[in-house]
Amino acid sequence: MALLSFLARRISQGVVIIFLVTLLIFTLLRVVPGDPVRLMAGGMAPEALIEEIAKEMGLRDPILVQFGRYMTGVVQGDFGQSFTRPASGASTGGTGFGDSSRGDRADVLTLIGDTLPMTLQLAALAVIFALIITFLIGTPAGLAPNRWPDRLAFYVSSIFVSLPNFWLGIVLALLFSVKLGWLPAIGYKGFAYTILPAIVLAIELSPVLIRNLSGSLSAVMQSPFISFGRVRGLGRRRIVYGHALRNASVPLLNLLGIQISGLLGGVLVVEFIFDYPGLGLLTINAVLQRDFPLIQGIAIITSAIFVLINIVVDLIASTIDPRLEY
Amino acid sequence: MSMNRRDFLSRTAALGVGAGLLQLNPSAIVSPAFAQSKPLVFLSAENITGNWDPTAHTTLSQKNVEGFVMGFLVRNPMTVENPDEVVYELAESLKLIDADTIEIKLRQGVKFHDGKDFKAEDVKATFEYGSQPDRPAQWYPGPTETLTITTPDDYTVVVDTSKGGYPAHLFMFLAGFLPIMSSADIAQGPKGPISQRLNGTGPFKFVEQRGNDTVLEAYEGYFKGKPVIPGINFSFVGDSTTRMLSLMNGQASIVERLEPEQVGTLEGNDKVAISRVTSVENKYLWFRCSKAPFDNPLVRRAACHAIDRSVLLEVLGDAGAASANFVSPVKFGYIDLPNYPEFDAEKCQALLAEAGFPKGEGLPPLEYITSVGFYPKTKEYGEVITAMLQEQGFQVELSVLEIAAWNERLYDRPGGGPGHMIDCGWSTGSPEPDLILRTHFHSSSKRITGIEDKELDASLDKERSAATLEERKTILQTETMPMIADKVPALSLFTSVMIHAHDKSLTGLFIYPDGSMDASKATLG
Repeated sequence: MALLSFLARRISQGVVIIFLVTLLIFTLLRVVPGDPVRLMAGGMAPEALIEEIAKEMGLRDPILVQFGRYMTGVVQGDFGQSFTRPASGASTGGTGFGDSSRGDRADVLTLIGDTLPMTLQLAALAVIFALIITFLIGTPAGLAPNRWPDRLAFYVSSIFVSLPNFWLGIVLALLFSVKLGWLPAIGYKGFAYTILPAIVLAIELSPVLIRNLSGSLSAVMQSPFISFGRVRGLGRRRIVYGHALRNASVPLLNLLGIQISGLLGGVLVVEFIFDYPGLGLLTINAVLQRDFPLIQGIAIITSAIFVLINIVVDLIASTIDPRLEY
Repeated sequence: MSMNRRDFLSRTAALGVGAGLLQLNPSAIVSPAFAQSKPLVFLSAENITGNWDPTAHTTLSQKNVEGFVMGFLVRNPMTVENPDEVVYELAESLKLIDADTIEIKLRQGVKFHDGKDFKAEDVKATFEYGSQPDRPAQWYPGPTETLTITTPDDYTVVVDTSKGGYPAHLFMFLAGFLPIMSSADIAQGPKGPISQRLNGTGPFKFVEQRGNDTVLEAYEGYFKGKPVIPGINFSFVGDSTTRMLSLMNGQASIVERLEPEQVGTLEGNDKVAISRVTSVENKYLWFRCSKAPFDNPLVRRAACHAIDRSVLLEVLGDAGAASANFVSPVKFGYIDLPNYPEFDAEKCQALLAEAGFPKGEGLPPLEYITSVGFYPKTKEYGEVITAMLQEQGFQVELSVLEIAAWNERLYDRPGGGPGHMIDCGWSTGSPEPDLILRTHFHSSSKRITGIEDKELDASLDKERSAATLEERKTILQTETMPMIADKVPALSLFTSVMIHAHDKSLTGLFIYPDGSMDASKATLG
């Protein structure tokens, strides 16, 4: 019952957040410079035609009227059609308004549905890599505070946090793809194309996780229940892996939830550099092309994902540590 | 050795994982990505439009795809050494019967990719369709009703332009630029198959659009013989570093629009070759001539004399070449104009004073708009131009915009286009100079500048209506082009050098100066 009430509360909060995010994005898109109708109609289209199309599409109505119309569609599962992309999904531009293929525009939901799994795959691999790095470096550091493993963790985290992801992406592609020929780097023709971008994202994610894990593990190791464990005759491995790490993982998990939400910023840059056909690349092209329906659709879906991730993180945290309440 | 229950469980679990790992084939993850792909992989800097009708767009990347798939009556290699060279393809001859009539004899035995025989009806349908006023590309010299096209037999086309009052020889240059479509496709209208796929007579067949990849395959029935390379994957990749890395790791065969500093990196790579072609594209500083202060030719000339173009070329490195005209040196009629405005601070100040703005006093704040992401070094040389203009008293502010926002502000509109100056290049794969001069400086078009000048109109009409090409060249070089240099509605800054980098094993590829390619004889690997 408590679980159901928790879910109902968090989901209703999530709906409000998504609604506010959508309203914000919707408004911002309409006040920044750049008229999408001019892009759709072609630069050479006369002003009268621009106004005619804009009125036809309702783009000259008050923002709240446009928003109401949009949200009515969204609740019925209609996120609209891309302004610029044809059904083939190709990134397009420069077409003229009289363009007969305009009736053949791609559905926003289809475009997101095609690219979201790619980004989820990339994000999942990045999180796996980040956790591996975090546990390999953070655990010894937490077990040996102020000694060399701790200092090593500090230096590694400092280096990782200082590496710009666009630079790291290029360097890793040069090293592993161009020089060594171990991994492909550009585009996507199979799972191997996910590895390098995932490493870049993992390196971006891991410094905060390493510091968090080493700090909380070191604190947990000072707790009375650890001493009791020793008194009970438990081995060090059992104490560390069975008790200390489990307790140290709760703050790590909460942090991971926030970090995954922040992953989108990294995904935008990394997918662009690696030409990885995920939601990040789709977003960048949509912004460059002022593809309003697509940008709005992406904003709604990503904010929904963030809300879900945070609900799931809270659920898992309370499973690990039953003292936490819903 | 003792073993407790926990140890037993953890060790058997470890054994299970180990056994599972042994079953994994790591080559399935790593190796196949590096298998040498045989088709040519072209990474383009620009996206396509999504509508395959060649008359529906002016997008360079899509013109490049058309270059592989479509057939042309003739091709113009437009090299600096031999700018007038003509290579006959679907046409066997182009003959001016008189000033208003051109006869085109066609090659026999050519088939479209869908199996239809290529005949005179296709040329007639293409010319008539492309000239329709509603076609967005507007490459043709006049609307359909100004043309009378007859087909005395299946392989002869006669174009009569007398109703339009312009000479028939305009079709000689355009013949190398206009892709020939199937009359059967055209008959189904702009909403028919013509917009959904390309159907031509060129060396490669359109197969499908797969996301951002346009997939082409070698056409067995190509009239010059089936190409050696089995196909082409033409893909849009927006980032120039990504394109370069793809070439370096062997995923791409050829990439375009290299940044000058990337040339240095790639020149040290023994698996990569660099191709430099003086292009048909000039880069311009366009003045908004329909509003103050650039409605005054004296102020425009003053601004031109404030700019030292040799410094811009230093910034551009390999990506630019000096020129002193409003068209590229590979275009018909090019000469280095004796009166082309050069850097001269004294002249600049004298003109400003004559215009009533001594040392720039009284001039309004000016906005100069440029883009980043497509043309090389625009921001860098934009900053140089801004500094040069400021030094002479122009209060200029540079607005650097990403492509979509810049494109939205590019063209003229009622009351004048946004800002006071804007940066843009103009590239048309034909020797025809009017695709630039008339497009931009005649008051019937005035795409970016918004200029309306009766003297210029008269001169542009006069050169277009010249009875012969020789006469036209004389008018262009002695009258029209010098007049444009006096009125400077735009300043051509330099001619772009099209820089491609490709796999060294790629041979036999010819790159035209607009960036399109002939890969019919290319071999790879």
